Amino acid sequence: MHLAYPAVLSALLFCTGLYGVLARRNAILVLMSVELMLNAVNLNLVAFDVWLSKTAQDTLHSGQALTLFTIAIAAAEIGIGLAIVLAVYRNRGTSDIDKLRDTAETDDGDDSDDGHDAHESAASTTAEKAEATA
Amino acid sequence: MVDINESVMQFLLAFIVVGPLLGAAAALLPAPPGLKGKSPEQAVLRHGVTVTGAVLIAAIVLTLGFDHDQPSKMQATTDISWIPALDVRVHLGTDGISLPLLVLTALLTFLCALYSYFKMPSGPTPKAFVALLLVLESGTLATFAVLDLLLFFLAFEMVLIPMYFLIARWGGEERQAAAWKFILYTLLGSVVMLLGLLLVGLKSGTFDMMALATDNGRSLTTSVQVIAVLAIGIGLAVKTPMWPLHSWLPDAHTAAPTVGSVLLAGVLLKMGTYGFVRILLPITPDGFRTFAPYLAAFAVVGIIYGSLACLALAKQGAKGDLKRLIAYSSVGHMGFVLLGIATMTPTGVNGALFANIAHGLITGLLFFLVGALKDRTGTTDLDTLAEKTGAALYGKAPRLGGLLAFAAVASLGLPGLAGFWGEMLALFGAFDPADDLSRPAFLTFMAIAAFGTLLTAAYMLIVVRRVCMGVAPQNSPGLADIQTYEFAAWTPLVALTVLAGLWPKALLGLTDPAVQQLLAGGTR
Amino acid sequence: MTTTTLAVLVPLLPFLGAAAGLFLGRTAPGFVRPLAVLPSVLSLALAVLVAVRQGGDQAVDAATELTPTGSVPIELALHIDGFAALVAVLVGVVASCVQIYSTGYLRDDPRYPSYAALVSLFTSAMLLVVYSGDLMVLLVGWEIMGICSYFLVGHYWETPEARAASLKAFLVTKLGDVPFLIGLFALAADAGSFRIRTVLGTVASGGLDHPTLIALLLLAGVAGKSAQFPLHTWLPDAMAGPTPVSALIHAATMVAAGVYFIARLLPVFAASSAALLVLAVMAAVTMAGSALAALAQDDIKRVLAYSTIGQLGYMTGALAVGDRGAAVFHLLSHGAFKALLFLAAGVIIHAAGTNSLATMSRMKDLRARVPDAYWTMTVALLALAAIPPFSGFFSKEAVLGAAEHAATGHAEDIPGAAGWIVLVAGLVTALLTAAYAMRLWLLAFRGHGAEAPDHGRQPLAMNAVLWVLAVPSLAFGLTTGLLPDWFDGHDLTPTLATSVLGTGVALVGGIVTYGAWRHTTALAARVPLGAVAAHPEGDAGLVEAEAIASHAPAYGDVASAPDPADPGRLLLGPLHRHAAVGFHLDAVYAALFVRPVQAGATLVRFLDREVVDAYVRGAGALPRLLGAAVRRAQTGNVQTYVSALLAGTVVLAVAALLVATGA
Repeated sequence: MHLAYPAVLSALLFCTGLYGVLARRNAILVLMSVELMLNAVNLNLVAFDVWLSKTAQDTLHSGQALTLFTIAIAAAEIGIGLAIVLAVYRNRGTSDIDKLRDTAETDDGDDSDDGHDAHESAASTTAEKAEATA
Repeated sequence: MVDINESVMQFLLAFIVVGPLLGAAAALLPAPPGLKGKSPEQAVLRHGVTVTGAVLIAAIVLTLGFDHDQPSKMQATTDISWIPALDVRVHLGTDGISLPLLVLTALLTFLCALYSYFKMPSGPTPKAFVALLLVLESGTLATFAVLDLLLFFLAFEMVLIPMYFLIARWGGEERQAAAWKFILYTLLGSVVMLLGLLLVGLKSGTFDMMALATDNGRSLTTSVQVIAVLAIGIGLAVKTPMWPLHSWLPDAHTAAPTVGSVLLAGVLLKMGTYGFVRILLPITPDGFRTFAPYLAAFAVVGIIYGSLACLALAKQGAKGDLKRLIAYSSVGHMGFVLLGIATMTPTGVNGALFANIAHGLITGLLFFLVGALKDRTGTTDLDTLAEKTGAALYGKAPRLGGLLAFAAVASLGLPGLAGFWGEMLALFGAFDPADDLSRPAFLTFMAIAAFGTLLTAAYMLIVVRRVCMGVAPQNSPGLADIQTYEFAAWTPLVALTVLAGLWPKALLGLTDPAVQQLLAGGTR
Repeated sequence: MTTTTLAVLVPLLPFLGAAAGLFLGRTAPGFVRPLAVLPSVLSLALAVLVAVRQGGDQAVDAATELTPTGSVPIELALHIDGFAALVAVLVGVVASCVQIYSTGYLRDDPRYPSYAALVSLFTSAMLLVVYSGDLMVLLVGWEIMGICSYFLVGHYWETPEARAASLKAFLVTKLGDVPFLIGLFALAADAGSFRIRTVLGTVASGGLDHPTLIALLLLAGVAGKSAQFPLHTWLPDAMAGPTPVSALIHAATMVAAGVYFIARLLPVFAASSAALLVLAVMAAVTMAGSALAALAQDDIKRVLAYSTIGQLGYMTGALAVGDRGAAVFHLLSHGAFKALLFLAAGVIIHAAGTNSLATMSRMKDLRARVPDAYWTMTVALLALAAIPPFSGFFSKEAVLGAAEHAATGHAEDIPGAAGWIVLVAGLVTALLTAAYAMRLWLLAFRGHGAEAPDHGRQPLAMNAVLWVLAVPSLAFGLTTGLLPDWFDGHDLTPTLATSVLGTGVALVGGIVTYGAWRHTTALAARVPLGAVAAHPEGDAGLVEAEAIASHAPAYGDVASAPDPADPGRLLLGPLHRHAAVGFHLDAVYAALFVRPVQAGATLVRFLDREVVDAYVRGAGALPRLLGAAVRRAQTGNVQTYVSALLAGTVVLAVAALLVATGA
């Protein structure tokens, strides 16, 4: 099999995943898209490993080993990711990432000439958030 | 005067510089048993008085041991290698130029510590206050005592941090903004200055001020000197402050606590002008000559500008703040100092050094008095104080009023008091500037500056009129007159103002030989 | 003791007295009076001794270095010639008299200690000016006198008049002192020394580069201190101070310092005939203008103030024609009789409870209440009007004689024009002087109307002093023959022509005024006027302060009163309105100096806030703006960040590709 087929396939997969990550609103779908991208990489790793092993005298098949490694990590990652999404959903009642913008820079402390005030306002906003998450 | 062993002198000078630093560290530790005093606050404030007092005594002994027949010679010198890779040395010494400044600093800090012992400014713990005060003292004294460019820079910078905290933590209204402005402005100036110092050091191969001064700029090309003077001069001019780099000063003074204002005006501003005399004049004479007319022009503008700003503040209905007014008057007075330096003549530089000391004494006293006025009336706003006709301080608190009038009169440069000789000599220097400076330009500067003294007199006397005179309402409560501790803190300043006015030789006898030597080719 | 030691003690004693008075004033009130009077009297005795020892011979000269300056050193030098010795005696006499008088005048004043100390300090400074042989040290005394004058004029600081006048007095004299200082620099730079001896030596050898310029610069300071046109406007206002102060500082001594200074440095001025001409014109304008103004004043002290300006004009006139002997002769005799006039006026103000001549002219028998003041003031007014044989006649004739001498071309190096200017102006002023002296006497002592209030006899300290000062006013003319030995040797005896002329015009002036008064006095009864002090039983100082404070509210002005019975109004006609306000010179100053400075102050206020500080704030704004821009990118949406990351990656990849392929 020519190297082009798996390469094209993995490129398509990656782009689908990328589109998903950038465009989907639902956090679960974003996580799934991340999985797609990871799998595209896995596919590439396996394909190139096979292609490179053909010419090599002896090989460690490090591409395939790395793929296994990635699968393991992806499993852990998706577990934790889904758990976080679940927790957020329970707290906020949504998993729409457009609405989860707590780290956005607001104009609260804009006139922070005065170190004191800035600290105080920052402290008060975090306190509000803590209340909201509880 | 008194014959003191050279190694003792070395120790004294080193103690003056390092002592306050050790004292600052000690102030942060808990008081040892036996010295606990009535309360931890009282103990630490007393510690501050003790340390500054010891430094003052050391400074006085140093003055006594100083060989007054050879004020142009560096005395009590210590020279230890510190960073060999950069050839930075711990080089200390004092001559007729720096000695008066050392004593003035030690005296003013002691008086401030004494004053705060009885009248602690409101703010956080006195422990930090005393420690900062001592660090400040150490930095200032080091600036006047070191003879190495990099060390000078370190000492110069060391002063900023404690001053920042003094303003930002113990100050009055709008202290945060004023403290920020103060530190950012002066730091920016210092950065430029550092570049200039490095340029001088790298081009000539040494950071040692004495070696550089003896060299008298011979190993530096004129273009290097010009750049170096521009860079170092800007840094020093910010500190002095020279118009138009002055705008941090009024804010800082208005917000600073009384003690902070006294030290800021009395001591910190002198570091800038001292740098001009000690570094720029002997080390880069050619470059300085290029800029001298411009420096003089800026100085003269500063004199007139500061006086006019004061007049605007003193006007009825202008909501002028007294501390702000005195700050602007400092801009004017430091203008005379800069004018004297810019003439590059012994007369002018002598006048500048004299005016330095006189300004420290008189403006220190003025800030003390205004602080006391604020404690009693709760305001430094002239309109609130004066109401319709005047605050009638002569009637309500005769001694305080009389002393304020005395300080105002001293500040306007009355002959017979300290303020006069500096201004007179600076003007006389400008009348006949160094040979290769433009005489017509300096004559014009002198004439304008001389009329500045008239404006100074005008605003000072308007202040006296609005604060000291006026109709006292029949049933108005009198104000508390001068307390014992205030008397103790102010008497030395008054006495020295009169002494320096009547016996100018006490200072000029020290500075003149040193200045002659400096201008003719460095110190020995 | 050597003469030098004695001479050093003369200014030193009052200085120590002042210091002790300031320190002990509140703790030991019992010592205040002795500490005020004794040093002055002692230093008078020593000054007399110095004068006797010096005896008009070779000048006593001694010097020690006060301080090095880097170029021209400043020396603590004595230079006592005949002029200095005699002027010092005058200062001592008047200062002692005033100190004694003040113990009565301010008997109940709580501020007496500081007052007395300042008068002592002033005396010391004046004596320093007189004896000093170094110009810079002279300047020290010169300015200390100025500040003492400032504080003493402001003694009644509750009154707005005193507050304004003290400030004005200092600033106007300081306006003159600025060029004065520059002039001193120029002298020192040419002569290489601040010593008067060296300077005069340089002048004699023609070593001055710009004598005219230097003389004019110095003249500005003299005009300020000696209240000469155009810097005289502070002196009438300075009458808001206590009367003894006016007598000492604003009549007899400080204002004479300028004249004395020119007398000392006359060769500098004589080196330039332009300077002498300017001096002559200044003197002429001052004399005539001030005499006209004096005729229109209502405040008795302001009349005397303008008269002082005019008499100082005579002295500068004498200097303009190069005769310093005549100038200092007039200085001495004027010092005595003018001090007497002021002190007597103080007694009158106390007795009448007012300083207004219009009010006094409506009081009967004021002269019976204060017989001592009445007789001594009459003597002094006769001396002022230069009626023989009183002292003023001889000294004024000396001035006029010198002017005639110069006008007819008998004086070397003196422009004849200067002589004519001084002579004509001097004769006109003699007429006017007699007129206002007569007016003052008639209005104060020949009033009709209600009985003058009776407060009993004046304190002995005050009355005795009047008689002491009356002696020189009467008899100083006898010394005409002796004085030339002390001075340059010029003859001071009156010449026939000027004597007849001068006395003639003076008599005319007096008689015309008397006629005018007879004409107008009938009107007095019809227009009642009167503002008197609220506390007539208080000490003289309190009465005076209240009289000053009540003048403007009662009559609408500090200087004049709307009194149709005033002979001055009839004599001056339409000029009266302008003369009363000093020919609007204050308005000129306001337009020329005060308003430009105020405008400058406003401009600086604006510049500082909106321009200088704007750049500083602008420098802070730039980093803040950048920060704000960077913060905008922080949207909180992870997808935005990833998009940006992707875009960055693509850009970098393309760039790497281009570099790798070498495009």
